[in-house]
Amino acid sequence: MPLSLSDPTWYPIASSEDLPFRHVYHGQLLGRELAVWRADDGNVNAWENRCLHRGVRLSIGINEGQELKCQYHGWRYANRSAGCTYIPAHPADAPARRIENRKYPVREAFGLVWSAANDDQRFAPFPGAEGHDWFALRPVPVNATPEDVLAGLSRLAPDDQSVEFIPGRAVTLGSARFFVQPVDAARSVIRGILPEKPADEIATLRYYNEQLTKLRDSLERAAAKKPAPEPLQPVFEKVSVELSTMPDIAVPRGNTFPVVVKRKWQSADGVIGFELADRDGKHLPTFQPGAHIDVHLPNGLVRQYSLTNGPGDLMRYTIGVKAESASKGGSKVLVETVREGDVLAISEPRNNFPLRRDATRTVLIAAGIGITPLLSMARFLDKSSLNYELHYFARASQTMAFSSELDVLHGRVDRHIGFTREAIKAKVAEVLGPYQFANHVYICGPGAMLEMVQATAAALGWPDDAVHFEYFQNDKVIDASSAFDVELARSALTLHVPAGRTILQTMREAGLTVPSSCEQGACGTCLTGVIEGEVDHQDVYLNKTEKASNTCMMTCVSRAKSGRLVLDI
Amino acid sequence: MTITLYDFELSGNCYKLRLLMNILNVPYAIHPVDFFPGREHKADWFLRLNPFGQLPVLKDDDLVLSDSGAILAYLAKKYDTSGQWFPDDPAVTAEILRWHAVADDISATSSAARLALGYSYPFDIEKSQKGAHRIFRILDEHLWFGEKAGRDWLCAPAHPTTADIACFPYVMLSEEGGISRQDYPALRRWTDRVRRIPGFMVMSGIFPAGPAKT
Amino acid sequence: MPKAPDPITRDLWHVVAATDELKIGLIETTLLLDRRLAMTRGLDGEPVVWFATDEENGDDIDADSVLDRLPVKTAYGYTWTCLGTPSAELFPIPEFAEADRVNMSCGSIGIHVSAPRAVENFLDMGHFPYVHTDILGSEPHTEVKEYDVEVSEERDEVLATKCKFMQPRAAKSATQAMEVEYVYRVPHPFCSVLYKSCPEDESRRDVIGIFLQPMTEETCRAHLLQSMIDSTSTITDLRRFQQTIFGQDKPILENQYPKKLPLDPRAETPIRADKSAIAYRRWLSQKGITYGVIPQAS
Repeated sequence: MPLSLSDPTWYPIASSEDLPFRHVYHGQLLGRELAVWRADDGNVNAWENRCLHRGVRLSIGINEGQELKCQYHGWRYANRSAGCTYIPAHPADAPARRIENRKYPVREAFGLVWSAANDDQRFAPFPGAEGHDWFALRPVPVNATPEDVLAGLSRLAPDDQSVEFIPGRAVTLGSARFFVQPVDAARSVIRGILPEKPADEIATLRYYNEQLTKLRDSLERAAAKKPAPEPLQPVFEKVSVELSTMPDIAVPRGNTFPVVVKRKWQSADGVIGFELADRDGKHLPTFQPGAHIDVHLPNGLVRQYSLTNGPGDLMRYTIGVKAESASKGGSKVLVETVREGDVLAISEPRNNFPLRRDATRTVLIAAGIGITPLLSMARFLDKSSLNYELHYFARASQTMAFSSELDVLHGRVDRHIGFTREAIKAKVAEVLGPYQFANHVYICGPGAMLEMVQATAAALGWPDDAVHFEYFQNDKVIDASSAFDVELARSALTLHVPAGRTILQTMREAGLTVPSSCEQGACGTCLTGVIEGEVDHQDVYLNKTEKASNTCMMTCVSRAKSGRLVLDI
Repeated sequence: MTITLYDFELSGNCYKLRLLMNILNVPYAIHPVDFFPGREHKADWFLRLNPFGQLPVLKDDDLVLSDSGAILAYLAKKYDTSGQWFPDDPAVTAEILRWHAVADDISATSSAARLALGYSYPFDIEKSQKGAHRIFRILDEHLWFGEKAGRDWLCAPAHPTTADIACFPYVMLSEEGGISRQDYPALRRWTDRVRRIPGFMVMSGIFPAGPAKT
Repeated sequence: MPKAPDPITRDLWHVVAATDELKIGLIETTLLLDRRLAMTRGLDGEPVVWFATDEENGDDIDADSVLDRLPVKTAYGYTWTCLGTPSAELFPIPEFAEADRVNMSCGSIGIHVSAPRAVENFLDMGHFPYVHTDILGSEPHTEVKEYDVEVSEERDEVLATKCKFMQPRAAKSATQAMEVEYVYRVPHPFCSVLYKSCPEDESRRDVIGIFLQPMTEETCRAHLLQSMIDSTSTITDLRRFQQTIFGQDKPILENQYPKKLPLDPRAETPIRADKSAIAYRRWLSQKGITYGVIPQAS
């Protein structure tokens, strides 16, 4: 049976012990090269061995623990999702587009790591697998066709023993099972396992290694005498049109998906922690440090919460919610009525607060619940051994959330408790110091705190682009004085928007159904594509690059600078 | 003492000495030799230093030494105060010298294939590649069983020796000779360990490993 | 059987050797566009190139006895030849003729990758901190700022200007990172020339050229040229620097897949920093180059 690129069978591709922490294993299955690596959380990733950017093998990259770093341009790809979280050439931008490496199904079981060319088959243990603590022999690569290797293995059986073939190019010899990994048309690896660790471990391993080495030599002698089949020709999948055209932006639509509340707990006085996970136990979408999600609340409201997670940590999103929030019915609903086991709809993570990883010094300043995005940032900087310090201001120590998470960071974490306004200001000035090249500060906290840090930083000579913060509320005064026409391209309608009315209101009055939520330019629900015309952006949802692209807008607050706008509605 | 290394950046044999001196924190000066394309190692002045016309040559005050393996032993014996890079124990000495010889075989195969493909040397590419694979198979097996027995390095001691330094460069540069290390996972793990030795430095063509998990 | 090169590639001048490194009367062989060539220099020092037969093997020869010769041009210290009908001129590097410059070859190095992949890598700045660590760049200074790219109609070349990158030690005297400005030209499908701020004379620029000899579609030889304003360094020092840089690129290029440069925009994922590479790929596409590339499916 010739090899097929689309063979859905699960084959072993490595031994468990081939994957120590912080190592990238160079594997291959059915002609496709794999970069296989174990993250610090124990998860095994099997990815196409090729960076999406310029096609360099990821097996020469660096396993940073929870992210894989390409050796060519330092692109980081997250554990589990293989999503790109950082592009160092553009450190101030969140990779807005969903750049995700091709990954293969992977399972660790019976001392081996298994993979398959596609998801067509569920992983099923081989017959008799259960109930043993399988022990892997030394794998032996053979330059011969998988078929010949399998035939060779069956000849190892003593004459008085029957040979039992098991599915997936495998054979049982005594208590041992031998699997043939089809590396390529003319290359194989013999992977043997024993049901238990033998009493004399080294001697047993030596014995099998000798047997298999002899078999290898005879198989290779035979293979050298006949023409080798052509190697398989795997096809590299094309990237999406969106990724190929080097667009300035691609703003994700407000797609939502359900998550289950796995855990709800009191993280500190007045702060409730929530862990949200996929209902089927799959990993969640890639996020970058500083990212937030929209949480759709049972009462129909939408609220934004920052993720606190570290790199490659995609099995659950952890958010912190302030218990007595001023926003009526917002966080209150979450805190009071949502329970463990409940299902909520959330958006994919969005990042308006991207973390640069090209600073010589990063200062993180958090006040109160503002700790949440900065905890995520600190965790990323920590894993990359970058220089950072986190200053956490709170009224009282019992109100400090995520304490145990902060305790395990290696960087400098200073807790400042019960400071007066003046003392906070003095401390911030001391912490920042005069501006130095390649220093960056990130602030998250109440509006007054943001303004104070901005003013202090400015007074110390920090340029605007070194001072980072994000808005979850639009505190700007909306200028609704303009009047203009909107042409709705897909609805074949032209409407006049008078001064004092929003585009959203005008569209609704014309009988269109348009989704919206916060109606203050903060949540992103009414995001609309712009085909023509110049937008007068007044929202706080889109970031600078997205606004500059003039390809989308928030119809609840933003207007037109030109006399006419053509919208993709 | 004043050490001068007659050095070519792209030479794995010269790199062995830069690497050990960096690990041992021994200061040295570099005298660059235009090995390629200038063929300065065949110039009269160089042949007076080493009649074999081979890099590297190391001068320690008035002492002139050649052959990377011999110089590794010299540097370790003279400058390694810990005594761990080339221990006095007779059995370990023999073990190290055995692997120094393997290192020369790796040069004769892996380095030859690299010189043929990259630098137009008239060596038999296929024969060199086959020879390197034969050695790498044995190395991988040796290191695999080493890991099973709790041994991280080529020789028995718990600390790396000059044997690891001697074998490392042309293992790492084998791909330039068209010799993939995909089939040698234990060998690849050992190259991670070597790259995490305190004081490790790279050469052109070899990238560092990231930090180990703490 | 390799496919015949496209007519554009066939009619180009291709670099085959550093002229000084060809020994008078001694035959060397090399590959160009899948064809084996023999070359030597005559007693007059002029290079002679012809299609190799099975007879030449490191032999001595009197160059005058070679009758069936390929066209030859010497320029920038290198020997160039053509397998088709060559144009009169090779692209200009006017700086090369300046009297006070130190011009040198830096070796011809074989790489297992297509020539266009090597050109594209030469144009790329984003890899400096990761591949040329502590020389041309170092973390955390990784940003590729906006720069300008155009395809010059007049000269038919890709030109990238105002390229700036933070370099840890741009000059021997520098103690802290400073921004270095580059200009890149691609005046030939398989050649590129860069201009870099010169530490010794602020008004002038050092010139570094990379000329790729496409041996097969998936292998090439890089011939490096330096044309420097440098009154203190030796040729050996300058060569060592350039070889160090190139030696760092080599394992990256040899680990790149596919080996041929894909011209389909959907084959890889470009970012803004890759503007010059995008322009280069389009330019190759428009010229109709198919050798060493994976042409865009029409």
